Amino acid sequence: KTGASQYSTGVRKVTLIPGHGIGPEITVAVQKIFEAAKVPIEWDEVDVTAVRGPDGKFGIPQKAIDSVNANKIGLKGPLMTPVGKGYRSLNLALRKEFDLYANVRPCKSLDGIKTLYDNVDVVTIRENTEGEYSGIEHEIVDGVVQSIKLITEEASKRVAEFAFQFARDNKRKKVTAVHKANIMRMSDGLFLRCCRDLATKYPDIKFEERYLDTVCLNMVQDPSKFDVLVMPNLYGDIMSDMCSGLVGGLGLTPSGNIGKNGALFESVHGTAPDIAGKDMANPTALLLSSIMMLRHMQLNEHADRVQNACYEVLREGKALTGDLGGTAKCSEYTNAIISKLN
Amino acid sequence: QSIPKAQYGGRHAVSMLPGGGIGPECMSYVRDIFNYIGAPVDFEVVDIDPNVDNDDDVQYAITTIKRNGVGIKGNIETKSEAAYVTSRNVALRNELDMYAYVLNCKSYPGVSTRHKDIDIVIIRQNTEGEYAMLEHESVRGVIESMKVVTASNSERVARFAFEYAKRNGRKKVTTVHKANIMKISDGLFLETSRRLAKEYPDIEHNDMIIDNCCMQLVARPHQFDVMLMTNLYGSIVSNVVCGILGGAGLLSGRNYGDNYAVFEPGTRNTGTAIAGKNIANPIAMINASVDMLEHLGHRYHADLLRNAVNRTINVDRILTSDCGGTASSTDVVNAIKENANLIANKLHLG
Ligand SMILES: Nc1ncnc2c1ncn2[C@@H]1O[C@H](COP(=O)(O)OP(=O)(O)OP(=O)(O)O)[C@@H](O)[C@H]1O
Ligand SMILES: Nc1ncnc2c1ncn2[C@@H]1O[C@H](COP(=O)(O)OP(=O)(O)OP(=O)(O)O)[C@@H](O)[C@H]1O
Ligand SMILES: [Mg+2]
Ligand SMILES: [Mg+2]
Repeated sequence: KTGASQYSTGVRKVTLIPGHGIGPEITVAVQKIFEAAKVPIEWDEVDVTAVRGPDGKFGIPQKAIDSVNANKIGLKGPLMTPVGKGYRSLNLALRKEFDLYANVRPCKSLDGIKTLYDNVDVVTIRENTEGEYSGIEHEIVDGVVQSIKLITEEASKRVAEFAFQFARDNKRKKVTAVHKANIMRMSDGLFLRCCRDLATKYPDIKFEERYLDTVCLNMVQDPSKFDVLVMPNLYGDIMSDMCSGLVGGLGLTPSGNIGKNGALFESVHGTAPDIAGKDMANPTALLLSSIMMLRHMQLNEHADRVQNACYEVLREGKALTGDLGGTAKCSEYTNAIISKLN
Repeated sequence: QSIPKAQYGGRHAVSMLPGGGIGPECMSYVRDIFNYIGAPVDFEVVDIDPNVDNDDDVQYAITTIKRNGVGIKGNIETKSEAAYVTSRNVALRNELDMYAYVLNCKSYPGVSTRHKDIDIVIIRQNTEGEYAMLEHESVRGVIESMKVVTASNSERVARFAFEYAKRNGRKKVTTVHKANIMKISDGLFLETSRRLAKEYPDIEHNDMIIDNCCMQLVARPHQFDVMLMTNLYGSIVSNVVCGILGGAGLLSGRNYGDNYAVFEPGTRNTGTAIAGKNIANPIAMINASVDMLEHLGHRYHADLLRNAVNRTINVDRILTSDCGGTASSTDVVNAIKENANLIANKLHLG
C-alpha cells in the first residue's frame, strides 16, 4: 500500500522538500527528531525552487519530480510562489504532477493548547484535482464572467472511496458527505451519489449527508458531531481551514496529499518570512504531518513514539514557541521533544 | 428606502410564505403576536407544496409579493432531486431581483456562547454566482456547473454595502473572495469593491480569502465589521457567524432589491427534524417580523417587539433548548407577549 521504495535493511527513502522561508528550519527539527527516534528513513533532499522550463514557464525541477516518482512518498515544507506572470503555483504543480487527488487534514484538539473548543477530532478529506479549481474562466461579454466548476464521476468516486477506506483503516465511525446539491443539483448531486454508492460498500462505517452551510453552522457549535468529512475541492479548502481554526491554527495542523503516483505530506502554513531564519518557527505542523506519513508507511510504532513525545511537550507547556504564547526557540522545542523520546 | 408597500386604511398587506419544516408554526407565532400587540399588518398567506414538480405555487407567491412589495418567508423545500426542478428559494430571489442580502449578527448577552460581544453585518450578493443553476453533463459522468459574476450586480451589492456602512456609522468593509484561484470571476467582484471603496474614503476597506476568513471567524471574530461577499461565501459565512452566536434559531436576514423586500430567518434552514414538536426557537422568525415592521415604518410596534424579544432573552433568559434553555416554543412566545404588555403599559403610564 505504501509503495515506498525499500532497502533490504528496511530503511526507506523519502523525498524531502524543505521549501522556503521557515521551511528549512522546521525541516531540520523533524530530521533531528526522526534521527533521535531511530526512524528507519533515509531522506532524499531536493530543491523545488522554480526553474524555467522549455516552454518558457517556470515549474518544478525535473530532479524533484524524478525523486518523488522513485520514492513515491515525500515530506514538504511551505513553498513560496513568486507573484507575477508565468509562475504557476508550485503547490498546484506538485498536486497535478503526482495526481494527488485527496487532501487529508486531521484537526484534533491538543492537550495544553488552549482554544475555545475542546475535544475536536475531525478529519476533512478534500477532492484535490477538479471542482472550482478547474481554472476554466472567461468573460463572455463585457462585464459578464463565467467560471466553470467541473465534477466528474471518476474523481468523485475515488475520493469517496479514499474517505471510507481511511475511516476503516483509522478506526473511525462515520463519514459525512458535505455538499450543496439543493442548489448545484447536477454537479454536487453527482458527487453525493458517488458517496452514497461507496457507502453501501462500507456497511461498517456510518454514512450521512449534510449541506455545506449546515455543517458550518453545526461545526462551530458542536464539532463533536463530526468524524470524517468528505467534500469537493472548494468546500474542503474552506472547511479544513475553519477546522484548523478550532484547534489553534495552521501552525498545528498536519496535512497529507494522497495520489495514484505517490503521497506528499506537508505543513499547510505559509513561509512566514517575518520570522524566517530566526529559530522562532513552530515545527509542530510539519512534525505531525511527518507522523501521518509514518502511519501511511505502516511505521505505526515509530509514529506513536514521536507523537507521544510531541504531545507530552505540548501538554507540559514548558517549551512552547512564540506563536503558542511561549518563549522557546524552535531548537529548544525540538530538543524538549527529543528528551522525551528516551 | 423607496420600496413600494401596499397600504389600505393605515394597514399594510404583506405576503407570508410559511414554507416547510418549522416555518408554519413559527408563522403562527408571528400572527399571534401581531394580533396581540395590534400591529397594523394583514398577511396574505401562500402555501407552496414541496412535492409537486411544477412552479405554479412559486409563480403565484411571486405575484403576490409583487403586489404587496413586502414578504416574510420560511424556507421552501424542494423535495424532488430531479435536476430540472430547481430551488424555489433561488427562483423567488432571482425573479424579484433581490440582489442584496443583509444579516445583522449581534451577540445576545443572554445566550451563552464562546465568543462575546460580536457585532458583524454580512452583506451578500443574492442572485448570481454559484447559484446560477446553469449546469450540464458534457459527457457521461462529467458535469460542468457555471458560476456567473457580472460587473453590474457586483457593483450594486458593493454600493449597497458601502452605503449601509456609511448610513449606520460602520468603520470597515471586508470583501471576502477566492480571487487567488478564481482570478477572473472573483477577481471582478474584488476589483469592483475596491473601485467603489475609493468613493467612500471614510470607510476602511480590506479583503480576505474565504478559507482564511472562516479560520479567522472562529478564532478572532472581533476583527470584522461589515463583510461583503458573493453568494456561496455568503451562505458559508452567515452560517458560521450564526453558529458562533448561538445557532439557527436567533438571527434574521433581509433580502432587498430595488422594488421588493423579503424577510426570513438568517440561516435559511428548514428544521424538518424539529418541526411540530413545540421545540423550535421562534426568535429568528419573530426577528424577521420585527425587521419587516421596521421596513414598513411601524416604528412603535417594531421597537416594542424588539425590546420584548431582548428582555425575554437577556433579562428573563427564557430560551429554547438550542440555546441551552428548557422553554418550549410557546413558552418563549408567551414570555414575549407578556414583556410586550409590560413595556407597552410602562410607555403609556410614563
Ligand atoms: N510554523 C509557524 N510557526 C510560527 N509562526 C508561524 C508559523 N507559520 C506561520 N506563522 C505565522 O503566521 C503568520 C502568517 O504567515 P504565513 O507564512 O502562513 O502566511 P503568508 O504570510 O501569507 O505566507 P505565504 O505567502 O508564504 O503563504 C505570520 O505572522 C507567521 O509568522
Ligand atoms: N428555529 C430553530 N430552532 C432551533 N433549532 C433550529 C432552528 N432552525 C434550525 N435549527 C437547527 O439547525 C440545524 C440545521 O437545520 P436544518 O436541519 O433545517 O438544516 P437543513 O440542512 O436545511 O436541513 P433540512 O432542509 O433537511 O431541514 C438543525 O440542527 C436544526 O435542528
Ligand atoms: Mg486553503
Ligand atoms: Mg488557506
